[in-house]
Amino acid sequence: MKIVVTVKQVPDTNAEKTFDPATKRLNRSSVENVLNPFDEYAIEEALRIKEAVGGDSTVTILTMAPQSGVDIVRKALGMGADNAVMISDPAIGGSDTMATAYLLALALKHVGYDLILSGTQSTDAINSIVPAAVAEHLGIPCLTYAKKVSVRDGSIEVQRETESGYLRVSAQLPALVSVTKSINEPRYPTLKGIMGAKKKEVKALTLADIGADAARLGDQGSKTAVDSFTTVGARAKGTVIQASDPREGAQKIMNFLIEKKLI
Amino acid sequence: MKTVISLVENDNGRLRRTGLEMATKAADLAKQLGVASGAVVLGKGAEQAAEQLKKTPVDTIYAGADVPLDGFLGDPAADALEALLKQTGPALLLVPATNLGKDLAARLGVRLNAGVITEASDVSAKDGAVVVQSPKFGGSVLSSIQFKSADYQIVVCRANSFAARDEAGKGNVVTLAADGSKQYPARIEEAVAQEAGKLTVDEAGIVVSGGRGLGGPEHFDIIEALADALGGAVGASRAAVDAGWIPHAHQVGQTGKTVTPQLYIACGISGAIQHKVGMRSAGIIVAINKDGNAPIFEFCDLGVVGDLFQIGPELTKLVKERKGAA
Repeated sequence: MKIVVTVKQVPDTNAEKTFDPATKRLNRSSVENVLNPFDEYAIEEALRIKEAVGGDSTVTILTMAPQSGVDIVRKALGMGADNAVMISDPAIGGSDTMATAYLLALALKHVGYDLILSGTQSTDAINSIVPAAVAEHLGIPCLTYAKKVSVRDGSIEVQRETESGYLRVSAQLPALVSVTKSINEPRYPTLKGIMGAKKKEVKALTLADIGADAARLGDQGSKTAVDSFTTVGARAKGTVIQASDPREGAQKIMNFLIEKKLI
Repeated sequence: MKTVISLVENDNGRLRRTGLEMATKAADLAKQLGVASGAVVLGKGAEQAAEQLKKTPVDTIYAGADVPLDGFLGDPAADALEALLKQTGPALLLVPATNLGKDLAARLGVRLNAGVITEASDVSAKDGAVVVQSPKFGGSVLSSIQFKSADYQIVVCRANSFAARDEAGKGNVVTLAADGSKQYPARIEEAVAQEAGKLTVDEAGIVVSGGRGLGGPEHFDIIEALADALGGAVGASRAAVDAGWIPHAHQVGQTGKTVTPQLYIACGISGAIQHKVGMRSAGIIVAINKDGNAPIFEFCDLGVVGDLFQIGPELTKLVKERKGAA
């Protein structure tokens, strides 16, 4: 079975962000980039499915990123993925979510797949749009927000998180699954894994290789445009009181809620 | 653009809390843009939900009670919305930022070659164009985003972003026909409602969250009692979820939900950046923690350094007394 995991590099949550006023894009070179934390759950799940299914199953990592993105790919390979595919092209920069989904879908068609796994969202944009849009482009079952996945004989069953519980959903492969953090505990790359990752294949694909139309990518190919960014100031520090007497502490909170018309 | 339509979710005839605010927003935007407005509600109970939507100022309510939302995941709703939007012509579609809403935005975006903007905290009309405000990078930046040329525009809206208004519109109800016998590839085998009828953490106007300071799952009853008294939902920090004290659906923060309630009460939560990014946009933040050096005291509106196990129940009692007296 061929399992492909789509991953993304994101700026570290703790990093200070600055924006290029001309392009209105994040200065990605000025912050430390990391593997999107949600993607680690997808990689872990892919490795577990591969181990369970056995045979000649493989796990391929797919990302669109500048060359600097090779670091996150190496991390994924260090966890145990077999090989990776990177699409890097200046024309991609500035692509919005729908343009990104278009490109990933073409890359997936080129690479081939039985099962596509991804994180539910990225920590930088929190869109949760790309996985479902990719499934729609490919015309395959779209099983998002999975907290449990089981694969057997060409069919798949997931438990999909809902606002009030979960749905048990079944479909035939090929399918796309996005996973939530409840699904597993991602492994750390071992030293042996990290050393081995250096020898694994990282294939570079061009837009021409996958038949992508540059006019549908980047700023010009995106149907949305950011006009401005405003940095949100830190929340002002409010009043902090010591409550040695719990009743008094509770009363102070109550008075505050009444004053703010919250009760 | 010819119309502004809001997707409203319903649970067997009960509108999700965001429904009325989304429908009101669709009506207001349509008025500013000089186009028609509508709200669409699908699945079992759609007729009852449509009655409740008559309180809002929308022109037309589209009700698709026969769309088999409970039999198949996503596909029937995507088909019904695609058919409706192709019939209405160029439109702005507002969808709620729920799991199903986000999936539908993505899939309709592909089918209709639409522009899609997510995590909207506000949507307005300026010189005939739609302008969306959306927090990015954990709420540290607010971006203002517009659509370029696109016949169809889709905006995924965060809960608690708009105000609902009681003002009856035209109240036309149009029934959306659906082929109930059609089969789709992703089949729902079973729906497990662990917390049916309870307010979810992302739609609630008040969220009371518990963290590591609770010390164990048994103490979440303090959080639940306070949330119930206030009419809010129960949230949790990553530490509490990872310890298995409460399901992930309650988690607020980087690897959980991003919430924007009017009031957020953090109990026994230190306030690390990973939690902060999920709740920093709340209207008012109150923190109770025994550790006076906890980072949460740097960005809350009112911080109380003290014993949560005593202050929590006391506060619940005071809230109940006040509500009982009112």
